[in-house]
Amino acid sequence: MSALVFSTWSAVSPYGVGSEPFRTGIRASRGAITALDPETCPGPFTEGGLVPDFDVTEHIGRKGTRTMDRVTAIAVTAVGLLLADGGPELTSRPEDTGLVLGTGSGSVQSIMDFTRDSLAGERPYHVDPARFPNTVMNRAAGQSAIWHGIKGPNTTIAGGRLTGLTALSYATRLHRGGHCARVLCGAAEEYSVQRAWLEWHGRDGDDRTSPLGEGGAVFLLETAQDARAAGRRARARLLTTRFRAFAEPADARAALAECVREALKQAGARAEDVRVVAPAETGGSLAGVEEAAIADVLGSTVPHLLGNRALLGDTSAATASLQLASVLSVLDDQETPPGALALVTAVDRDGTAGCALLAATTNEES
Amino acid sequence: MTTAATSAERRTEIKGIICDILEIEPSDMTGTSRFKEDHEADSMGAIEILSTLERTYGIDLDQSVLPRLVHLDAVVDVVDQAVAAK
Amino acid sequence: MYDNDQRPRQVVITGLGLVTSIGLGAGEFLAGLRAGRSGAKPITAFDTTGFAHSYGCEVADFDPAEWIRTIEPEELGRATQFSVAAANMAVADAGIDPEELRGRRAMVSVGTTDAESRDLDLLAGEQLEKGPEHLSPGVVRRAHAARLSSSIVRELGLTDVEALTIPTACAAGNYAIGSGYDAIRAGDVDVALCGGADAVCRKTFAGFYRLGTIAPEVCQPFDRDRKGILTGEGAGILMMESLESARARGARIYAEVLGYGLTCDAHHPVAPDQDSLARCMALAHRNAGISAADVDFISAHGTGTKANDVTEAGAIRQVFDAPPPTVSIKSMVGHSMGAASALGSAACALSIAEGFIPPTINHRETDPDCGLDCVPNQARPAELSVVQNNALAFAGNNAVLILGRHREAA
Repeated sequence: MSALVFSTWSAVSPYGVGSEPFRTGIRASRGAITALDPETCPGPFTEGGLVPDFDVTEHIGRKGTRTMDRVTAIAVTAVGLLLADGGPELTSRPEDTGLVLGTGSGSVQSIMDFTRDSLAGERPYHVDPARFPNTVMNRAAGQSAIWHGIKGPNTTIAGGRLTGLTALSYATRLHRGGHCARVLCGAAEEYSVQRAWLEWHGRDGDDRTSPLGEGGAVFLLETAQDARAAGRRARARLLTTRFRAFAEPADARAALAECVREALKQAGARAEDVRVVAPAETGGSLAGVEEAAIADVLGSTVPHLLGNRALLGDTSAATASLQLASVLSVLDDQETPPGALALVTAVDRDGTAGCALLAATTNEES
Repeated sequence: MTTAATSAERRTEIKGIICDILEIEPSDMTGTSRFKEDHEADSMGAIEILSTLERTYGIDLDQSVLPRLVHLDAVVDVVDQAVAAK
Repeated sequence: MYDNDQRPRQVVITGLGLVTSIGLGAGEFLAGLRAGRSGAKPITAFDTTGFAHSYGCEVADFDPAEWIRTIEPEELGRATQFSVAAANMAVADAGIDPEELRGRRAMVSVGTTDAESRDLDLLAGEQLEKGPEHLSPGVVRRAHAARLSSSIVRELGLTDVEALTIPTACAAGNYAIGSGYDAIRAGDVDVALCGGADAVCRKTFAGFYRLGTIAPEVCQPFDRDRKGILTGEGAGILMMESLESARARGARIYAEVLGYGLTCDAHHPVAPDQDSLARCMALAHRNAGISAADVDFISAHGTGTKANDVTEAGAIRQVFDAPPPTVSIKSMVGHSMGAASALGSAACALSIAEGFIPPTINHRETDPDCGLDCVPNQARPAELSVVQNNALAFAGNNAVLILGRHREAA
């Protein structure tokens, strides 16, 4: 069992910059997918869930942003919001704070633009050296640490649609292994013309034209005691994460159901206490798998299903982190009974399944 | 041959490139204000300047000129020589 | 940190899978390390026209079909082919029946710098030529970082498994091994296949070339005349398991993982920071329960650039009163990016098991600013108890891993 609680968190999403617009949007089930400007976003999609009018300089100043790519800007902004919200104590011991950030494959736009310059330029080395770090997949995590002076472990995690869950599991072990006292954990994904083309070519079946989204969410994971001492409210407790793999899409349902059963068992929790479930809503050959697996385990208990794909678009590697943000948005309110459970689930076409089990904080914890 | 006019234009253009890379206002840079000491440039900044000049003017600058690129006057000299040698 | 009734488990390395420019498999890699073999040769991965020099350390004669059984090789990008091949080798080397492995709770954790950027290069070329409407879907589908780990799961048919890819650039191999160590130690999993993989690609070569950090023909870490890195490729996957698990099946133990440390400079995107690296070494020593004086040799990050070697040597002297022999296997295998520290860890495990320190080849005169015994050119016999494997990465991500000889309690 994890000893950690989610306290402060932040989001940069199609609802705007900050956790408050996200919370309001999710609680109202408001769609944030809009028509794409064909001038700035040419490509196979006509609609998308973009962070509206996102200008990083409004959030972190102008200096140092000239060559910053969009996914890095989203990450640096989200981490900055979290630190501001967490208060000065949070940055007083930078060596003790870790940062674990999920990614798809970095910025495919930055990577492929760089190669294009090498292929199409007058010389193959006529590339922009200042943009080379953007082509390395730890850029968003590393630049967030540089920008905000976070000197503990700095790790980038990729796990497809499970990324946010995988990052959570990794972050928990970092803490338990004594590598940091608290850890910022989340994921970020950008909308780019290049990503749009790759998604469009890579998806299967009727999933092909479903709109893309972008954004990021970052959570502060710390012990309940630390949160209390610093005056930060615990929003939920992380009970556990579980993962399995499946060889064929037909086996995905059973794999995810087993993850959920094991998570409940490990936490000593009852299925009927699960009030909220946030599925990744993976499409294509895996469409509907999560809902079926959840029903297999929870039986007659019908939880509040909190999918956000229809609202925000397909946010790829940021999916599970934005699901977590959705869960925190609804769990942290007056109506939720203390100790109520929430599940975040995901399956990926690469044959991986996983879930995270959270509990609403009890009165003593918050 | 580089005429006086094109040379002056090029100097303005080079200054613009460097100020853009170092994220400073052109009014803050003189011919001899030093990139590193006065404008907080790091080693990446120097390589960026070299690389942008190569692409802009279609010239080849060996990495060994990097230590010479300390201020605007020196950069203009290096570029003028390279353009003349084309 | 741990429940009282649940003491942390010991973690041992029982299998090695290696795809390197100096040999495929643990045996060939070991022979290469002992002999001081060089993997340097002209790059063939992409058209190098226009670069004044273009040597690298590619894996030649790699036939994926020879090493990958379940998955069709063309469904995998080159880096993933390397990682899957190395995982198969590690499992075979550990002498564990794949069926038995499928019965264990497992983690698969693979570090990388570029993942399938080789495929993204390919797609960038297609796009230039034919437009973005005409990209190859098969290449698009395999060009995901997550594939480096999930494909090992698929190949081995694992089900009770957690798969993660750690793209923390050139320190990623150590990060991945550290993640497996923590998971086994805490009892979350019984076995872990961990390491790193990368493939040579135009994007990364052009970037390092532009920074002026590519050596013309040879990589000479710690040498007065060092001229930079040679980009390389390959994969190193370590089969790790709890000591109980290894004992129960009578496995050969190469070495024990004693601990690791991670720090972030939070300073500069590409320039390393001496104090932060020194702090990372000290953290690793503390995590492993050793002191600096216990370390018998250091497998350095040792890229062969001016900046890295002098910074790293400075950090070592900051932590060690009398620095132990400090070598760079990058002199032999080049800089294999995300695979680099996995290959370094494998080299450390082999060194402990076989009783020698690998050499730093291409060495003529030690840079007085580095001032280390880099075991020049000839491997050295040595009885080793504790060894240290350093890794640094862009964005100031440092990871230091400590391995030790496993001694059965008397």
